[in-house]
Amino acid sequence: MRQPNIQLNEDPREILGVPPDAGDERIRDAYLQKVKEHPPDREPATFERIRDAYEVLRDPRRRALHMFLSADPRAPLVSLLPASSQERKFTGGDPWLAVLREK
Amino acid sequence: MKYNQETRLPRPSVHGTGASVPIPQEEDLRALLAKGKTKPAVELAREIHKRCGWPETEVLLVDAYAARIRSLLKTGLKEEAKALFELVHKRYSSAAARLADVGVLVSASSGNLEELLRPLNDPAVLPEIRRAIACVVKGQVCDLSALAECRSLTADHPLRTAAAALLRAFAAVTAGPVEESALLLPEVSHRGPLASWKILVRAIAYFYQQDDAACERSLGIIDPDSAPARLIPALRTMLHTNTGQRLAPAAESLMALVCGSKVSLRRALQALDSAFQTKVQDKILPEIQRAVTACEVAYPQLLERLRQYISVRALDLDLPTRKVRAALGGASIKNAYFWRLYARSAESSDEALELLICAQWEQFRRHAVAEGWFAEKGSEAAALYLHMAELLLEVPAKTLERQRSKFTARFSGFQDYYEDQPPVIREVQAKYKKSDLYFLSPSQLFERACAIDPHREAFERWLNWAKQESDGRVADHVAELWHRALPLHSQPLLYLMESAEKRGALNRATAFLAQAQKLDAVNPEVRRAALRLLVAQTGRHLQQRKPHLVEQDVAALEALPQAQVADRPAFLAALRWAGAVVRGDAELASSFFGQIGRVLGSSAAAILACENAGALGRLTRADFDRHVPQVSLDPADSLVVATARVCALGDDLGAPFTIPTAWHARLCQELTNAHGELERWQLEMLGKAALRTNQKELAYRASAAGLEMGGDQEARFLLLRARALPEWEFERRDDCIAATVELGRRCGDMAIINEAIELRRGHRNTMTKFLDWLVSEDWQDFSMTTEQIHAVLQHEKHSRAFPSGRHAPLRVPFRETVFLDDKELEKDDEPCALDDSNQLVPEMGQPREKRPKRIRRDLPGQGDLF
Repeated sequence: MRQPNIQLNEDPREILGVPPDAGDERIRDAYLQKVKEHPPDREPATFERIRDAYEVLRDPRRRALHMFLSADPRAPLVSLLPASSQERKFTGGDPWLAVLREK
Repeated sequence: MKYNQETRLPRPSVHGTGASVPIPQEEDLRALLAKGKTKPAVELAREIHKRCGWPETEVLLVDAYAARIRSLLKTGLKEEAKALFELVHKRYSSAAARLADVGVLVSASSGNLEELLRPLNDPAVLPEIRRAIACVVKGQVCDLSALAECRSLTADHPLRTAAAALLRAFAAVTAGPVEESALLLPEVSHRGPLASWKILVRAIAYFYQQDDAACERSLGIIDPDSAPARLIPALRTMLHTNTGQRLAPAAESLMALVCGSKVSLRRALQALDSAFQTKVQDKILPEIQRAVTACEVAYPQLLERLRQYISVRALDLDLPTRKVRAALGGASIKNAYFWRLYARSAESSDEALELLICAQWEQFRRHAVAEGWFAEKGSEAAALYLHMAELLLEVPAKTLERQRSKFTARFSGFQDYYEDQPPVIREVQAKYKKSDLYFLSPSQLFERACAIDPHREAFERWLNWAKQESDGRVADHVAELWHRALPLHSQPLLYLMESAEKRGALNRATAFLAQAQKLDAVNPEVRRAALRLLVAQTGRHLQQRKPHLVEQDVAALEALPQAQVADRPAFLAALRWAGAVVRGDAELASSFFGQIGRVLGSSAAAILACENAGALGRLTRADFDRHVPQVSLDPADSLVVATARVCALGDDLGAPFTIPTAWHARLCQELTNAHGELERWQLEMLGKAALRTNQKELAYRASAAGLEMGGDQEARFLLLRARALPEWEFERRDDCIAATVELGRRCGDMAIINEAIELRRGHRNTMTKFLDWLVSEDWQDFSMTTEQIHAVLQHEKHSRAFPSGRHAPLRVPFRETVFLDDKELEKDDEPCALDDSNQLVPEMGQPREKRPKRIRRDLPGQGDLF
């Protein structure tokens, strides 16, 4: 039997898009929805991620274990920044050209 | 004019050869130019030209002036450069062609684009001038709109149309998402002076599409001497691939506009990570301050979490608390998040004390419950208790006991951590009694876990732990609790049956078996337990000298289908033989003896089976001697084969055979030469039986014979080898265990993995779940590459001789990737000669009066059979 990867780098709840207090049913619904969105034949890599996340969350004991063991105090501190911090604003050409003009 | 006339002097040739005379000091002049010393170069060139006045020396002088003009331009002396250019251009006839490119640079230095580009309208313009203009456009022109509107070029000039197209594309990619077609820019030639602009536009488009890899690829192919290359450092910083370089104000301002202030935070966090890696306090503290300040500005909602991470890392490095707090601008909040981080940090530390880690997890549990992460009696809490118990099981029992008493005496809680904490945090700490140190006891942790979330794995782990306790009642209590919590499980009943049987409480054992059979009669474990219990009962009746009951027991045994498998009928016959001995019926005993010999196909094995049954029924030596016929053994009838077979049979039926230590040397000798005579499972049982009486050399040789056979059972024999090694060969044992685990993992043999882990821990038979093992540090400890496994196997296969002393050469564990070559290993081999098989006879029962004095078989490691 395939052993799921418990040490996911990402939060499985984030992958499935479920809140921290989501129960079994909610987790299952979210999983099925995600599988519909990313079917294994078309997006095998994404599907693997989704399935690994579900494998962790479906069993309450493993879910709990993940809660304790997923924290990594030695991870790079930039990993604390959420994905939204990557946003890039369109500014028009002037600020860019100013860099080119600067001696 | 004077100079021009002088210049026209022809260069003389060497007399008689026709070759020109060399220019004096030409080498010196070239060297000065190469070093960038343009002023002395000009002076020397003038002196040479003054002396010679040849056309060649004029060219040299003009080249020196060109280098000087470039140098002046580079240092910003534009007027001086222009004046010198005009002077040289006017004075020397060869200057027009040789100073063409310098002339373009002088024009460009005035900043007048119109003037710079004007020569391009002349179709007869020198190629040097065209190239020089292109070079200036590529490296210096940043104003695309000025280029697009340059009046000195025709409206349809390729430079103007390319600049206009780039301007539109640049505005588009920096204003919003664009289609791929907008990036094609067919107006811009790949080889023209604006090619790098085309790549820059594409890089910016990828940047906004968050395709950082493509963006980085584009940046990598921009010509570093081109004007657009000035944007590369800023873009790389925004891509997070450039952390160290300081940027110009315009670039900083661009980053603030595009990425907000978070990019500064990101850089501060990266710098702090680097500082932590140095472990130098003076480097870390200022970076903490910078990171916290950047976080306050850019991402205030992240500040507390960042403080907690920093606190934990600082604690890990033992940095002074006051200084860290000052740098952080206050203490981090000691809530569940902090305690989880702190416990995880301690778990990954090499010097962690398991008891302290459990104390940290307990703090986490308290806060997590108070903060609503999970309920006090939720399955998460149970999982945490189990995790804590597993941590404690990492420590050998005696060490744990010693540590516990020290810890209990010294541990005063985590009061210091609660200074400067908000009331809501302090309340949680105040709620719990300091003296409740339940988390130091595996038993209490298991009990709590099983009470909250009773399930098979939890009880199994608890029972396996309890089996190691010296007081057998602990395990009985656990099994009873298991049975009470999960009455449909047969496992606790089987354990209770076995325990009662060991105590001699056979009625009670039978009752437990009956319950287990009611639950799951077809379960192989239950079926085997039934067989073993009946065998134990027969042994008891033999000991009570009740042959009629023995007969009934054996009849009941025979009725079991599982009793007819493999060599089992031989053991049943041996029990009947023992019953006949008790009854004093020599003829019947002889008949049963013959039956055993026929089933086993070996007189030696028949004798040993009778020995085993006799030991079970505690027959006297005299009884035995009277009823084992004087048989002449076939010389080929190997003692080791017979012993292995009886060991396996006894183990199977719960009547383990004790190998007399007096046979040790002979069995070792035979085993060394018993190629192919024994099955793998027989070898394994023989090895295990040898270990029961601490006959490590025999077990070692059994492992050698097993390893020699190769195949898929190598892991089992590596584990047997690990057990058989002397204590001082601990590194070699660790290698064997690690290789066993890795081999077991590869063939999915969970049982052998668990056995190996427990051997490493100093316990046996604990059935840790594979998943938990995966996430435990054990996994890291046991990792081995294929090459390392192969090396361990080769080493063990070649080391056929039992380690004889502490004077073995220094050995480095295989996991440190040191491999010994085969020649080195061969030195360990020790050839053993098989003694005459007839020498077996005295110990096999024939001249019985010469046998050593009998001792009790339940005292392992001592002498003969009884």
